[in-house]
Order: sequence, then structure tokens, then C-alpha cells
Amino acid sequence: MTQPLAELLVFQVGARVFAAAVQDVVRIGSVRDVPPEELVEGTSLGSTLGRERGIVVSDHQLGTEATLVVDQVLGVRSVPEGEVHPLPAFAAAVLRTAAVAGFVMLDEAPTLLVDLLTLIRERRAAAAA
Amino acid sequence: MSAASDGLDSAGGSAKTGPEAWFFCLRIMGGRYAFEAPLVVEVVRLGPLTRLPAAPAFLPGVFTHRGEVLPVLDIGQLVGQGAVPIRSSTRAAVVRCGPWKVAVVSDGVEGLVSIPRRALEAPPAESIGMAEFLSAVGRDRGGAIAILDLPRLVEAARARAVPAGSGPA
Repeated sequence: MTQPLAELLVFQVGARVFAAAVQDVVRIGSVRDVPPEELVEGTSLGSTLGRERGIVVSDHQLGTEATLVVDQVLGVRSVPEGEVHPLPAFAAAVLRTAAVAGFVMLDEAPTLLVDLLTLIRERRAAAAA
Repeated sequence: MSAASDGLDSAGGSAKTGPEAWFFCLRIMGGRYAFEAPLVVEVVRLGPLTRLPAAPAFLPGVFTHRGEVLPVLDIGQLVGQGAVPIRSSTRAAVVRCGPWKVAVVSDGVEGLVSIPRRALEAPPAESIGMAEFLSAVGRDRGGAIAILDLPRLVEAARARAVPAGSGPA
């Protein structure tokens, strides 16, 4: 029996590679034409180097869209759901962000799985504080 | 290497009742530290660490071991005595403390040690650094050993971390 697949968007912030559920992404585009107030950067994932691309995420609660600034979008990967691991309980209990949802094994390397909406909400809350 | 193959099971059975108390000893920051042997699941060589964003200094990362993702706990960082150097040869004791399973990173693993219960003494009455988490001090042929209350230390690490949502992102 084949395992269900998880569809993941793989992207890069600084030197690090992350993954996120494709279903959380509205579209991918350039950041040049996006109003500054819709751009989200300086998140807990780290600082961007080139600000090349934007991952647009919809916040259905607020009825708004936000664009997460990243350096590169590396593509979409389909991986067996068995390759997706939750964050270890101790790590989840001590991290200062709830945006790291777990890990996915990509090319035998553990890659952080990011909850994009939580990441953006946390960054906006920090900026507003 | 499985710690069970080092005789931990038999040690655990007698740890509470025999004249000898069994502990698992690590070298950390130049000292010999030990904790209750039955807490140790196994000893592993650390694989490549994946660092986590917004992690406290005492959590240098996670690594995969037999398909399981394990968090690494640096006790030196937790008690403010500096980081335990992590190299390809670094070994860690995987321990289970209540709901938490963590890999305690060390400078070196000594393994099981037994100390006569009558030789265990109360720790110094200090409340800073590693001394805050000592439950006893003892001595074997290798010299002095500080006995850590590991469950209390791990719980203190969790409590000291700023929970997600209440700190800077």
C-alpha cells in the first residue's frame, strides 16, 4: 500500500532551507510590487540575503494576505507522510516560536517544517509590541 | 551502542535497594557528573545537528537517530558555564525524564559507576551553576563525582525557556 504524500514548498532564507505545506500558500511572486505593509521579514527563520521572492499566505481570520520575504523558492516536493516528523516534545516546549511544526526528511537531511501562518502572525505581533 | 547492553537493566533493579547506588557518569566542562542510571536509554554518537530557530542556548539543535528526531541538551549552557564543544566524535546520553526524551551532550562518557550509599554526601549548599541541581556528591576510584538531579534539571530548562508567543519572535 502506498503512503499518502505531503506536498511541500521548499524555500531558502539566508543559508538555510525550510519546507512548508503547499496548501498554506496562495501564490509565489516577486516582492517588488508588494506594498511594504504586506511584506513580512526578519522572522524567527532568520534574515534574508537577497529578498528575491515572496510567499503569499492568506490569513482567513483577518481576511488579509501577507507576503513572507524569502531568498529563493526551490520548488515543490512530494514526500511520503511518514517522512514528516513532529518536533520533539522537549524542543517544542522550549522554543520561542510555535512556527516550527516539525521536520521532514529531504534527501536524508532533516529540514524544518514551518507553519507559515503562525510565523507571520508571530512576526506581526512582535512588530506591534 | 545500547546502554542496556552495558548492564543498565540489572543496575536499575538494584539502584534503589542495594548497598551500592548505580549512576551513569559523564564528563562535562571538566567535571564528573552522574545521574540515576535507569534514566539512560542509550549512548549515541551525535549525528549532524540541525539548529532550530528561536532556540535557547541550552538547545543547540536536534539530530536524527534511527529515524527518531532527538533534541540535544547542553547542561553547560543551561547553568551558564559555557557550551560543551560539539564535534563529530561527541557522544551523548539519551535520557528519559518524565515526558521528555533528550540527548545530554558531554565531553566524554564514563558509563556506569557504583558508589556505596554510605559514601554519598549532601551537596554543598550553593544555589548557582551546576550546584543548584546536585542531589549528592560521592567518590569512586576515579575521584569525586557530582550527582545531578536530572529530572529537576530538565524541568528547570523547560521552565526557564520563554514559551512560544510570550517572547520575541
